[in-house]
Amino acid sequence: MAQFLSQAPQQIVNGLTLGSVYALIALGYSMVYGILQLLNFAHGDVYMVGAFIGFGVLTVFLPDAGPLLPAALVILLMLVAAMIGCGFLGVAIEWFAYRPLRNAPRIAPLISALGMSILLQNSVQLTLTAQFRVYHTEKLIPISAGVDLGPAHLSLVRVLVIGSAIVMMVGLAYLVNRTRLGRAMRAVALDREAAAMMGVNVDQVIVLTFFIGSALAGGSGVLTGLVFGRIWHTMGFNAGLKGFTAAVIGGIGNIPGAMLGGLLIGLLEAFATGFISSTYSDVIVFVVLILFLLVRPRGLLGATGAQKV
Amino acid sequence: MNPPEALPEKFGTDEWVAQVDARRAGGGWIGKLGARWGALPISWRFLGLLLVGAIIPLLIHSDYVLRVIGTAWLFATLAVGLNVVVGYAGLLDLGFIAFYGLGAYTYALLSSGHFNVHLPSWLALLIVAGVGMAFGLLLGSPSLRLLGDYLAIVTLGFGLVFVQLGLNLDRLNVPWSNTPLNITGGSNGIINLDPLHFFGFSLSTVANYYYALLVWLAIVLLVIYRLNQSHFGRAWRAMREDPLAAEAMGMPTRRLKLFSFATGAAVAGVTGAIFAAWQQSVFPNNFDTNSLINLYAMVVLGGVGSLPGVSLGAGILTVVPELLRSPELSRVIFYMGLALALVFLIRPRRNGLAVLVGVVGLGLILRLAVQAVAPGLVSPPTIEVAAVSISSGFERASQSFGVLVQRWILLPKDPNTAGNLAYVLLVPALLAWARMKPSRWRTLLLVPLLYLLSFVWETRLSAEPAITRLLLIGTLLVILMIFRPQGLLGARRVEIA
Amino acid sequence: MALLELINVNKHFGGLEVVHDLSLVVNPGEIVSLIGPNGAGKTTVFNLITGLYTPDRGDIRLDGASLLGLEPHQITRRGIARTFQSLRLFLNMSVIENVTSAAFFRCSSNLAQIVLRTPGFKREEARIRAQAEDKLAFFGERLKGYRFDQPAYSLSYANRRRLEIARAMMTEPKLLLLDEPAAGMNPNETLEVTEVIGELRTRGGYTILLIEHDMKVVDGISDRVVALDYGEKIAEGSYHDVATNERVIEAYLGRKAAITK
Repeated sequence: MAQFLSQAPQQIVNGLTLGSVYALIALGYSMVYGILQLLNFAHGDVYMVGAFIGFGVLTVFLPDAGPLLPAALVILLMLVAAMIGCGFLGVAIEWFAYRPLRNAPRIAPLISALGMSILLQNSVQLTLTAQFRVYHTEKLIPISAGVDLGPAHLSLVRVLVIGSAIVMMVGLAYLVNRTRLGRAMRAVALDREAAAMMGVNVDQVIVLTFFIGSALAGGSGVLTGLVFGRIWHTMGFNAGLKGFTAAVIGGIGNIPGAMLGGLLIGLLEAFATGFISSTYSDVIVFVVLILFLLVRPRGLLGATGAQKV
Repeated sequence: MNPPEALPEKFGTDEWVAQVDARRAGGGWIGKLGARWGALPISWRFLGLLLVGAIIPLLIHSDYVLRVIGTAWLFATLAVGLNVVVGYAGLLDLGFIAFYGLGAYTYALLSSGHFNVHLPSWLALLIVAGVGMAFGLLLGSPSLRLLGDYLAIVTLGFGLVFVQLGLNLDRLNVPWSNTPLNITGGSNGIINLDPLHFFGFSLSTVANYYYALLVWLAIVLLVIYRLNQSHFGRAWRAMREDPLAAEAMGMPTRRLKLFSFATGAAVAGVTGAIFAAWQQSVFPNNFDTNSLINLYAMVVLGGVGSLPGVSLGAGILTVVPELLRSPELSRVIFYMGLALALVFLIRPRRNGLAVLVGVVGLGLILRLAVQAVAPGLVSPPTIEVAAVSISSGFERASQSFGVLVQRWILLPKDPNTAGNLAYVLLVPALLAWARMKPSRWRTLLLVPLLYLLSFVWETRLSAEPAITRLLLIGTLLVILMIFRPQGLLGARRVEIA
Repeated sequence: MALLELINVNKHFGGLEVVHDLSLVVNPGEIVSLIGPNGAGKTTVFNLITGLYTPDRGDIRLDGASLLGLEPHQITRRGIARTFQSLRLFLNMSVIENVTSAAFFRCSSNLAQIVLRTPGFKREEARIRAQAEDKLAFFGERLKGYRFDQPAYSLSYANRRRLEIARAMMTEPKLLLLDEPAAGMNPNETLEVTEVIGELRTRGGYTILLIEHDMKVVDGISDRVVALDYGEKIAEGSYHDVATNERVIEAYLGRKAAITK
């Protein structure tokens, strides 16, 4: 018990870090499902591409000698590049693979998404090989930088990750709740046809939703690289699945729910890794997903959807 | 002046209009051949194909070929099982491969030295079927309430859990023993499995298992087909159309879904057992996500809901990747495939031929231009035609073809970088082209596009068959869903949003 | 004894009470019409009867036996079949298959008989097919002959409604619930539907409870009319009694119309 208490704070820190990553991915899933009722299987791979874009920028601005620009600026550049790049990637995916299937039976966009995911993963493998890349974060931010909160060590990198995630989520919340675009997004999510009849350009809203969701995933990829170091072409699959789990637990289609779900999954995984076993941590997360879907499919914050007969 | 031809009987009536699909499909010699084949009674077609399958080992004595075709039978059976779950019941089970693995592992535990249990094969297979059914019910019952997408994710999760358990249940700490329990053998799997043996005869050669798998496929096809022709089939189709209405018309949808899960799982399980006996071992990565994607691609390509379709899809996606293993052969197939596609898929014919000529011409022009301006960029052919003594005429012919192509294409000194760049250009170009409306521009743009495709093939894709195969599957899935969601032999479906 | 009884049935969704203390009786051989403005809860009543929803309070009985807690397919087997307000056909199945599929629970061939195609199985299939053709023949020439093998999505709207009725008939119910059978039909088709409903009773022997908005149909065919508004029964009786009832007029046309009538 004492061991639990002494290790718990560190696991909480780890959990929050992981949770930030998953929450950002979950948001993309939730938003897209909210407006299109589509599970974007390729979303996890967009996250992976973001990590690689960030790595590309890092390689340019961080030769062996040291950063060419102040570290903060380099990190900002990485984030911006990845977010914009992934935003456009997401838009492109929607245009190629989902738009022609707007009115097709549900299984078609699902299979198409699967195909897109395979394409992305293997395209990266073809052009960049299966070799994992390493973010040399220690050259930007010294490893020892950070604060000690009791038994837990909160490194600067983790503060950065959690902080960036919070900034992005606050930005998104503002966008969705306080702007016209956000209102349009919510309208399209509730009733696409009615929104169209009220003068909302539905296609534009959908494109923007994909852009934002994918940008968040891209940013999340860079953050992952910064804090965990290694990136490789299949990292999107696992993270994507956990991001989806988070979205479901929070209530799919629900934005605060995705944030909450992400946090919970991050904490769950951290605690499972720390206290039970790292080999089974994935299994535990998926078991939790399955239980949730069986017991409370609408998630913690989701609304029940009534079906008119 | 010729007198006008007599109009067909009942021209313009409701009945005549209703038969438009049949008239449209009839044109062309492919259509007519298909119509003649379809007119034969189904038992004739089934027995005919069975006969062809049975004769092959007598004509071809290559173990390699028999192994490939045997694997095709294997995956066709799995595809039929999956078809019951996805195609008939409409349940998107992304963890189906786990049932296959479960059957394989169960057989491994019952017929090997691992726990020193050596059950007679008939008993082992029976137990495998039972275990499969039980797990099908187990996985099915909580999934009943889930909507399509959620069901997909939950089953995917189950599939992943299965692989994880397979990898990790070799060091299970149990209270009654000091040494950890090794159930699944971890990543090393379980080896030295008993071969299948019936009536004293032990299956050992490739040809033995070829026939075993063919017989099993035939049985499964027969049972599933006949089941589909009964009230069960009607209930399945009704459930896939509208589960609520089916329930309201007296069909017990929950029980039917469970039945589908159980049937699919049992078929997959026994197939897995046969696979395990053939391979004489089981490993967790036999049943991972890659295999699942492969299987789904087979079902989707062939046509969800169509028995001959999914079998055909399995055949194509087992045999073609094998053909792609040899770079020379895959090159021949690639270019021949392109040429055939151009000639057969573009109407009018002459446009297709024109594009073909255009691509070849473009290649020559580019090559000559670059050679004139910057000859240092171009590399000579890297393929050599082998001596007559060590390779067959066919091999040498494909090698010669390769040399020819490498003289035609702009082969750069550094194929990797150029190829990667070209690839990054190619993918969006290809997908954007696919989204264009048919027009003259679209046909014209095909010329540079196909050249680019050939370039990428020569520089990168032919060097990486494993990745290329997955890229092809991914592209296939997307293109298929957009242009022909019903697959090759499936029926076009109408669905209300 | 009454065939169908609703006894003090209540149903709410969230804070909204959609059916309030509803009691209703349908006697064998009757044709009863359920009318009321949109949102009055009529289709909800059908859903409650067929088991799609469970009442919060009250009981629903068929031939005296309670239907509460039964699954929809079990209720269908007991003898209640329905059509849907917004057609729910099996669009990709053929016309004849739509009908034969509804005979599922009356088929008794087991797995072995099906796989081996025993004579018993073949006899059963032929019997089901003949019954389906019989039900479709109710509608004359429209759904016969080459139409049998046409996919349901190729049918016209009126034919689709007829097919749905035929499919419901195939379950050989005692009670037929028809949800707006004349919706979207022109005057000719409406007249035909009215006649068909009458024949369903006389030739088919079904008891019928129907929801309708078209008063020509209601007047033409009903033994009794029940009017609902906001989930409550506001009038019951012959068509004339209900049509001239003040509360009913108010529900459809507003207070002023009721007063100045």
